[in-house]
Amino acid sequence: MNGKALIQALNGVYEWVDKRLHVTDLFNHTAGHPIPKSSASWFYVFGSATLLCFMIQLLTGCLLALVYVPSAAEAYTTLEYLTFRQELGWFLRATHYWGSNFMVGIMLIHVTQVFLFGAYKYPREITWMSGVVLMLLTLGLAFTGQVMRFDEDAYWGLGIGAAIAGRSPMIGQQVVNFMLGGPIIASETLSRFFTLHVFVLPGSVLALVALHLRMVLTKGINEYPKPGQIVRKETYDKEYATIIKKEGIPFFPHGIWKDLVAASIVIGGILFCVLMFGPKGPLGEPNPTQIDTVPRPDFFFLWIFAIAALMPDYMETFMLLVAPPIIIGLLFILPFINNTGEKSWRRRPIAVLSVILIYLALGLLTYLGQTSPWSPDMKAWSGAETPREFVEGRSPLELQGLAVLQNKQCRNCHAIDGIGGHRGPDLADVGTRLTKDQLVRQIIQGGGNMPAYGKNLSPYETDALVAYMVSLHPRGEQPARDSAVPATPAPMSVQEGEQHAAVGAH
Amino acid sequence: MKIAALSLACLSAIALSGCDNVPGRPKKEDRRPEPHHVTDFKTLYSQNCAGCHGNGQSVGPVISMNDPLYLSILPKEQMRQIVTSGRAQNGMPAFSLANGGSLTNEQIGIIVDNIYAWAKNPPPANAPAYSAPLGDVARGAAVFAANCASCHGADGKGLKDKAGSVINPAYLGLVSDQYLRTITIAGRNDLGCPDFASRVPGKAMTNEEISDVVAWLASHRENEFGQKLAPAQQ
Repeated sequence: MNGKALIQALNGVYEWVDKRLHVTDLFNHTAGHPIPKSSASWFYVFGSATLLCFMIQLLTGCLLALVYVPSAAEAYTTLEYLTFRQELGWFLRATHYWGSNFMVGIMLIHVTQVFLFGAYKYPREITWMSGVVLMLLTLGLAFTGQVMRFDEDAYWGLGIGAAIAGRSPMIGQQVVNFMLGGPIIASETLSRFFTLHVFVLPGSVLALVALHLRMVLTKGINEYPKPGQIVRKETYDKEYATIIKKEGIPFFPHGIWKDLVAASIVIGGILFCVLMFGPKGPLGEPNPTQIDTVPRPDFFFLWIFAIAALMPDYMETFMLLVAPPIIIGLLFILPFINNTGEKSWRRRPIAVLSVILIYLALGLLTYLGQTSPWSPDMKAWSGAETPREFVEGRSPLELQGLAVLQNKQCRNCHAIDGIGGHRGPDLADVGTRLTKDQLVRQIIQGGGNMPAYGKNLSPYETDALVAYMVSLHPRGEQPARDSAVPATPAPMSVQEGEQHAAVGAH
Repeated sequence: MKIAALSLACLSAIALSGCDNVPGRPKKEDRRPEPHHVTDFKTLYSQNCAGCHGNGQSVGPVISMNDPLYLSILPKEQMRQIVTSGRAQNGMPAFSLANGGSLTNEQIGIIVDNIYAWAKNPPPANAPAYSAPLGDVARGAAVFAANCASCHGADGKGLKDKAGSVINPAYLGLVSDQYLRTITIAGRNDLGCPDFASRVPGKAMTNEEISDVVAWLASHRENEFGQKLAPAQQ
């Protein structure tokens, strides 16, 4: 058989299949559909890159599910098996972990680009709304995925999630039961989250991606916005048809090559992170009796972690239960609030400012979440050493005061010269800020976020603690003094200081 | 072209090394051990002891565990018992799981054994006994004047720019007689307080003198209302 005959035969097979499956038609309506020439831009690659990440997640997720056992008793063991024993198991876990990080990151860029390019306006409202749901589903996948890595972070993360859900008025307990499969975190909880993570959420994502892409095809991809080109409901459809007619090019091959280049960059980026940084965890075992831990969510939820830790208590219910529906609702109805008009970000200063402000806030909160200075250092009381200059030259009582400071776990929240927890102020120079009486009051009664220790300290312990803290002022710097008492020219001697401390605290 | 060649070279290098040596591959030692399975002395000591006792180089508020004299007078079994059950009167917490602490008996054993590995010197020939009953208060005052007054003052209330009071009721209320005895014997060499043998050059304190001076110190104990305590109440 010569070449010509072979091609003819293959063509015959193709035509037979095409007649039945309409492949050519499908291709012309999808990959071959015309797009405005201006839309074949590097700014338009983020949607497909997000979808690529999702595909990677599906593939690696299926492979992980071959080994992972979603039971509270065995999940941690299978994670350890995957990470340390299974050939290339670590690679699989790392790809799934970094794939999820990239997916959330690229999705955020995609949303931002769509917002700044005004692509949510008439007639693409449903495209935007389905995108908002996809974003929520992706965040849901990220959260449930974090629970699949069933370690101490997952355990406490779930605990916090349940505590937030439990605040719902009237039905709090029922919501918690529904979420955890009972009143506490147990095997039922993991089964529920597994079901969500591998069936419900990915299935919903696939359905919504179909809708999202269908809208892209029927309503066309947004043209690259030009300043001054105003969207009007009456004229837009005709204008878009004209653009397609005049300068329309088929997506394949004119637009797709940029998506393919972006796809290879994304795959390269994920592989780079996989090989350089590897998988995350598993950290310590999910053991509720082990409180010596600093649980922290994955990076995409660090900002929520920071808000939850930093907001004043009177805002908690509002921020946890009222604000999220409002924000999601606003995002959802954005196309109706701002349906027509300018698309170009060059003529939409409020849109640009909003993006800058939102990213600044998210960035700052993420940084704070990463450093989480509000988390106590639970081992500092027994492990944090004290620099020599804060021990030497102290009287026996003051040394005993330092021992009390360690034993009563003050160091878990208060550093001395940077060593220890950072929840409260550093004590290295507390003697210049508070007088002896103020220290006694602060320790006994607490205040300003500090618990009262009056019931946990004997008078002698308070005396010793205060005597030590009064001694904490840099050399040459005067200790704090009561402003109602005239300044004494010479500082108190060691003995006077101690007598003073002993009498004052009684 | 150059970029393509470079990428190809990198990929081949990774392929040749077989992913075994890439930095992202978790190593066995990255595995987070369950807290009760930690057996590394350095980790156990730095997490549980260094805050108060220093780490051998740094100093802490209470006696250093790297003090050869202290280690030579304190029987190992007794240290094990102190770590296990604590010394409530001195503020030393109990560390064993059975007593509400966070360490297993095996971990306590590792800590104690390794601390004693620091003890390089044999105990001095004239070393006093670790514990003994209280001595005579009147004799103790004289011993204090001879051995301690140069730094702590004739009345024990401390000297400016030297050392602070050792008869402060709050201080005495927070330490036991045994604590006072241990410090009298071992001193705090790391903080400039000499041990029993070097307070007065050439004249080491005897076992009885130490018991006497501890009795004198303990006689200054007061309750929280400033009333002197009889020895039985202390």
